[in-house]
Amino acid sequence: MNLLVYGLVTGVLFGFLLQKAQVIRYEKQLGALRLMDMTILKFMLSTILVGMVGVYLVKDFGLVKLSIKATALGSNVLGGLLFGAGWGLLGYCPATNAGALGEGRWDSLWGILGMLFGAALFAEAYPALKPVYSWGNYGRITIPGVLGVNHWFVIPVVVIGVLLLFKWFEKKGL
Amino acid sequence: MNSIKTAAKKTWNPYFAGALAGVLVVLSVWIAGKYFGASTTFARSAGMIEKTFAEERVSRMAYFEKYTPKVDWQFMFVVGVFLGSAVSSVTSGTFRKQAVPDMWRERFGPGIGKRAVAAFAGGAAVLFGSRLAGG
Repeated sequence: MNLLVYGLVTGVLFGFLLQKAQVIRYEKQLGALRLMDMTILKFMLSTILVGMVGVYLVKDFGLVKLSIKATALGSNVLGGLLFGAGWGLLGYCPATNAGALGEGRWDSLWGILGMLFGAALFAEAYPALKPVYSWGNYGRITIPGVLGVNHWFVIPVVVIGVLLLFKWFEKKGL
Repeated sequence: MNSIKTAAKKTWNPYFAGALAGVLVVLSVWIAGKYFGASTTFARSAGMIEKTFAEERVSRMAYFEKYTPKVDWQFMFVVGVFLGSAVSSVTSGTFRKQAVPDMWRERFGPGIGKRAVAAFAGGAAVLFGSRLAGG
């Protein structure tokens, strides 16, 4: 029960921030895919930087566990390509689609129906798709793990790289 | 930054709002042990819908054994995103009932049918792709 309340409150706050930053707009999502407007990348990468530093900090104090997904090239690449094509057509991703509905952009309703259909289709295809998961499967690896260094050597490099990218976005007026 | 002035503004700087979302991620992981996600909810919801007319079949499907059709933290998170966006847009006067996005209209015209077909097909590919890639 508690978890459901946490989920709702977290979602309300996240949806509020997404709407304020306009990242749920079709124009902003397509703007990024068309390399015209990097608003959603600015938002997303800022979230990742703060999240990365914060989560690793609390992890080092033994307060949380990481949730590392497997690196399985077959399913990651094929799924990613399909996701990208669908994203370009719909103009929202699953979370921003819910946000778009919240601000009255009701073409997101078609998106919800499509996503439910896609999920049902995937559930049917799942047994047949199982072999794909074994293609290029490296298991639950991380960059610090592969390099054999402490994560605090990798984190500053990522931070600096993203900040340079931000500087470039601003210089180009994206 | 004057926080009252900022809160009243229609739009926030994406770096600022994104960084706040990062703080929210850390608090969520810390307090509830939950990382953000949305696509699993559509998988579980598809199962919940199918269960209403084919309960026995759903109970035998491997995918729904892995992702039990039920309302969980993430389902409420997705509902919350909808509500949070509604609150933000209504209070800032940016809520707008719109059938076809402006950028789409410029290129493909105002037809609702064409937009519906593209959005439905796109949504199906988005979900199939994200489930295949691992969420």
